[in-house]
Amino acid sequence: MRAALAVARKELTAAFTTPVAWAVLMVIAFFAAQFFNGALDAFRFLTLRAMQLQNPGLLERLSLTERVVAPLFGSMGLLLVIVAPFLSMRLFAEEKRARTFELLLTAPVRPWQIVLGKYLAGMATMAAALLLVALFPLLLSFYATGTQGGAGVEWQTVGTGLLGLLLLGAMAMAVGMFVSALTESVIVAALVSLLFLLSLYVVTLFTIGMEGPVRELVLALSASDHLTSFLTGRIELKDVVYYLSFVVLGLWLTDRALEGARWA
Amino acid sequence: MIEVEHLTRRFRELVAVEDLSFRVEKGEVVGFLGPNGAGKSTTMRILTGFLPATSGTVKVAGFDVFDEPLEVKRRIGYLPENPPVYPDLTPLEYLRFCAGLKGLPRRAVAGEIERVAGLARLDGVMDRLTGSLSKGYRQRVGLAQALLGDPEVLILDEPTVGLDPLQIREVRELVKSLAGRHTVVLSTHILPEVAMTCQKVLVVNKGRLVDFDTLDGLIRKHLPGRTVTLEDIAFLEEIYSKLVEGPAAAAAALAGLGAAPGTAPEVAP
Repeated sequence: MRAALAVARKELTAAFTTPVAWAVLMVIAFFAAQFFNGALDAFRFLTLRAMQLQNPGLLERLSLTERVVAPLFGSMGLLLVIVAPFLSMRLFAEEKRARTFELLLTAPVRPWQIVLGKYLAGMATMAAALLLVALFPLLLSFYATGTQGGAGVEWQTVGTGLLGLLLLGAMAMAVGMFVSALTESVIVAALVSLLFLLSLYVVTLFTIGMEGPVRELVLALSASDHLTSFLTGRIELKDVVYYLSFVVLGLWLTDRALEGARWA
Repeated sequence: MIEVEHLTRRFRELVAVEDLSFRVEKGEVVGFLGPNGAGKSTTMRILTGFLPATSGTVKVAGFDVFDEPLEVKRRIGYLPENPPVYPDLTPLEYLRFCAGLKGLPRRAVAGEIERVAGLARLDGVMDRLTGSLSKGYRQRVGLAQALLGDPEVLILDEPTVGLDPLQIREVRELVKSLAGRHTVVLSTHILPEVAMTCQKVLVVNKGRLVDFDTLDGLIRKHLPGRTVTLEDIAFLEEIYSKLVEGPAAAAAALAGLGAAPGTAPEVAP
């Protein structure tokens, strides 16, 4: 475990010494702010319309969490899938390119410890990105109050939403790390994992006009469809299993890929 | 300390090492000689457990590299051909990372880093990014890494590449000082280096062992009746070309050397 932590620490030092991690965090912060403003504007427009309609019931049912936080988190899901490959691309490809891979594999540690350390570092950066996203609901809670005078933000829903995003990020990081272990080129690693993750995320587009078991299958495979219940405040076992199975498979395959690289 | 038996390694149809057998005793410094592509690096990578062998066995300190890789890796300090350093870390961060990777006791880490930094003469650059250091310093950072934890066996793949002549001499002194307590295998194609630092020489060509003996043994075998001293580096060059290219080339090499006597590269102090 100590070796894994040493790898994680080195990985984080390198990630934050180079501009990569900072650039990714900047992209997340910038787009989160844009999506947040957009959703807030839409919410304001909706409340104005509800007032014009003189419909207090409708006005009361307008929820900030549902109308602002959920759309923000939904958009962040897509963004995470897009930026995660840039966080994971270096993990192994860079070691192979710089010939430091030899140092790792001749150290008295088992390959899975290296895999775990790298993954922990990737997830720490991912968690930092999600903390940035979590700032927006927090900001909202300072200014909003509920219709009955309670909190304006439903923290449970925010919590499940963040958990969903974290699981999505965990899946993206595991897939990206595996792809990174297959190549010496960071660009190839980034593009191939982007292709795979983005396909899984937007595959729901193909369900339009589909029916029956094919539609069910496509929805079951979709990384975005499994996020929706988290965004509405529910934690469902099938969604958790979906993301975690990618994590486990990704870590296991990475370990196998390291072993395989020696035999090639 | 190191026992290699019938070691063979193939990369698809290319045979990099073929039926290599040799033993290195504890405390010996062995020079690994051979032309480029002779299989030196491949053999070293197998010894350190980085590459698996196609067939044959390798034992270090009694442990089989394939069956008990961790026991072997714990006892080996390895400097690969390209120093495995990270441009984005300072030597201090890097050595701390390596100490964690090797599982050195936490309390000993600071002292151990100071020790190897002293041996590799890294003072003054410990807090600079490795990426901004010269090739010689990067090589020395790699060397410090190999020495970390004071492993019984040191495997150094071309340790003096990229160093200036003074640094080369320092590294040679360092290797010599390691003899006795440590078992050292170092590869090089700089012949004087072998004569000055190693007790035994292992010559490989095209993946096969051509000869493995002490310097004196090699002289007796290949240059019978000649008296040579260590200052006379040319003899090793002669033996080397005899073993690797055949007698005709050896004669040519000798003729070339004879034309300019006394210009043999660097003489032992």
